[in-house]
Amino acid sequence: MSNEVTASIPAGNPTAKAFTLTSAFWFAAATSFGMIGAGYLIAPDLMANIEYIHFGRVRPMHINAVLFGFVTPGLLAAAFYYFPKLLRTELFSQKLGVFTAIFWNITVAAGIIGISTGHTQGREYAELPWIVDIMVVVSFVLVVFNILMTIRQRKESILFVSIWYTTAAVVLTSITYCLGNVIWKPDTGALQGIPDAIILWFYGHNIFGLLLTPMGLAVAYYVLPIATRSPLYSHTLSLLGFWSLIIVYTHIGTHHLLQVPVPTWLKTISIVDSVAMVIPVMIVLINLWYTVKGKLGDIHADIGAKFVFTGTIYYFFVNIQGSMMALPHVQRITHFNNWVVGHAHIGVLGFAGLTALGGLYFILPRVTGKPLYSKFLADVQYWLVLIGITGFALVLTTVGLIQGNAWYNGETLYRTLPEIQPYYILRASLGTLIMIGAYLGLYNVIRTLYFNRGAST
Amino acid sequence: MRMTPTVIIVGILALLAAITLTVVYWPYATRTITPSDIFRQRSSMEEAGRKIYLQNGCVYCHSQSIRSIDWGHGAERIAQSGDYLADEPIALGSQRTGVDLSQEGGEHPDDWHIAHFINPRYTRPNSIMPPFEWLGMERIDTLTHYIQSLGLKDADHRMQRQRYWKQEATRAHEAGPDVNARWLAEIVPEGWRSIPNPYPTTRASLQRGQKIYQNFCIGCHGPIGDGMGPAQPWIYPPPLNFTILKGRGISGGILYYQLMNGITGTAMPYFKRDLESQKIWEVGDYVAVYFINQSDANTEPRGIDAAWEP
Repeated sequence: MSNEVTASIPAGNPTAKAFTLTSAFWFAAATSFGMIGAGYLIAPDLMANIEYIHFGRVRPMHINAVLFGFVTPGLLAAAFYYFPKLLRTELFSQKLGVFTAIFWNITVAAGIIGISTGHTQGREYAELPWIVDIMVVVSFVLVVFNILMTIRQRKESILFVSIWYTTAAVVLTSITYCLGNVIWKPDTGALQGIPDAIILWFYGHNIFGLLLTPMGLAVAYYVLPIATRSPLYSHTLSLLGFWSLIIVYTHIGTHHLLQVPVPTWLKTISIVDSVAMVIPVMIVLINLWYTVKGKLGDIHADIGAKFVFTGTIYYFFVNIQGSMMALPHVQRITHFNNWVVGHAHIGVLGFAGLTALGGLYFILPRVTGKPLYSKFLADVQYWLVLIGITGFALVLTTVGLIQGNAWYNGETLYRTLPEIQPYYILRASLGTLIMIGAYLGLYNVIRTLYFNRGAST
Repeated sequence: MRMTPTVIIVGILALLAAITLTVVYWPYATRTITPSDIFRQRSSMEEAGRKIYLQNGCVYCHSQSIRSIDWGHGAERIAQSGDYLADEPIALGSQRTGVDLSQEGGEHPDDWHIAHFINPRYTRPNSIMPPFEWLGMERIDTLTHYIQSLGLKDADHRMQRQRYWKQEATRAHEAGPDVNARWLAEIVPEGWRSIPNPYPTTRASLQRGQKIYQNFCIGCHGPIGDGMGPAQPWIYPPPLNFTILKGRGISGGILYYQLMNGITGTAMPYFKRDLESQKIWEVGDYVAVYFINQSDANTEPRGIDAAWEP
């Protein structure tokens, strides 16, 4: 891959800019929702009787804002930058791209306001009411259309790995979103009984497996070779990593239901393939880490690459942990408690979130043609988020072990509440760091996009 | 392998189709359609309550999924697929920030739930559930109907028992303190009534008893044991005023038994899941010493003293 640093498209890239701003804004909003939720766990009467930010509503607001407001648009922002670059063409339609970004924001806002006012289907990761589901699917289809048309008009015949991953992510998510939200049943958005749990977790797990993960890896595949001025280590590993991800990740959603009366053969498949996740994960990491081998100095020098590379380390952790958690004996302790919350944060913030932020900081100078408004602020954000998420991982894992072991040994849940309260306080403190990081990032992005007095590069 | 757009698109779609057929459609096609022994359809009121449950995110903290390894709330019955036939969506939950509610119906009478929704700490002082007073009494009532149906036929059975004993307890309460105290003693099996508290009263035991009292009892019985805790306005028959019990023959064994098993029909829950034996004896003695002002701790018949006793 060539060494492209300066933007070759003079008009800039309004689509990438719009998605960058979207991501930065919803990161701040989502962490604020998260903080409110963390506050409830410490002092449930503090914000008592305020309907619209009640814990049961603010929790899904947090999750939906993170998934569809912060991480996905962040990874899309980078995609809208590297698609034209890697395909040596213009984006098929910047107008459509900007429209998609605006429509995307309306969709996320509609979903969040909907949940806040009690319009939810009550299914984890599939809360959004039917009309918003349709808007989400339209948003994805608009992205799919734009990038497929861009691929069609490409001047570079070879498709780079990042293109494979992102195309797969948006195409497949358009479909799994419809399946998981049971979109053909507008009133409940659900099947009846146990099959509903199966389809929900098939979809829920694929939000991570077929959306955030491939798009995150696409950014890593794009950013790390450029930042270290190194060719990708192996094409064969890229191929194996891609196809094994699509095959293995899609099988494992049922590991959320190992302790539920679902067919044993289905549990077995999910356990075996959860362990087999080591294959796509390690193939990709070997490929990426060998690419940057001996060049950590270059990564350290580039704030975008620094975020992305840290994301790959968290990718390692979250997957090793995930494979382990799918083992039934481990899950007896880890299921139903904060261990899983920790795991979700390691994956979505530690890997996908850091990677999305890295993508933003990597493309911002390139799409604006100016250096970042403040590299210092971005660095501060890096450390705030990194300390926050590492602390989360440790604290939530510890709480999970306390809860899981206590329950397994017959101590009632009520008895464990005072035992875990100090950890909830620590968790809120660490969350504060992440939230401050998100607001610093939003400020930095706005200044870089609109009020950047820095010299043009 | 040359990765062309066609290879990518056709490849991923073919894989997704094959995998979806295997891990989603196949289990759907072979799903359970036989109702379990406890299954029944929900009433329209219960269904409306379930909507409130889902709208307000109860599912994020409360599972409805009892596993073979569980001990706590609802653990008498391991979930079967036939229990969930009418659930659309299913509300298994993924986290237990609060207790599992699979078998919550009939665990408590309605008034306990209403006090609990107004502020969960009224009935469970250490709870971290946020208050639901803002729902308003009508929706709290509807939600309570749903909660009392959890466990379906088993819940109906438990609710019937709650209603029967509520009548009995109300009759005893309304007949005045003498009758009430006698009733409270007489519903305890004979063997327990004559047992004094086998643990001696010590400063340490009283302090431990006080801690248990504050974590479990204070919401209803109040800080001075007069039954005027914050839950009192919502509960009928009201929480017992311990200070009237002196000289009315309340032995350590009676206190232990009532704490252990609760008084079904009233808001007094059983604590035998939450508290082990020593904790129940010590909180009983705390109540006897401080509020009743009459304790039979470590009196005859007491057998041989345990090795550690003073």
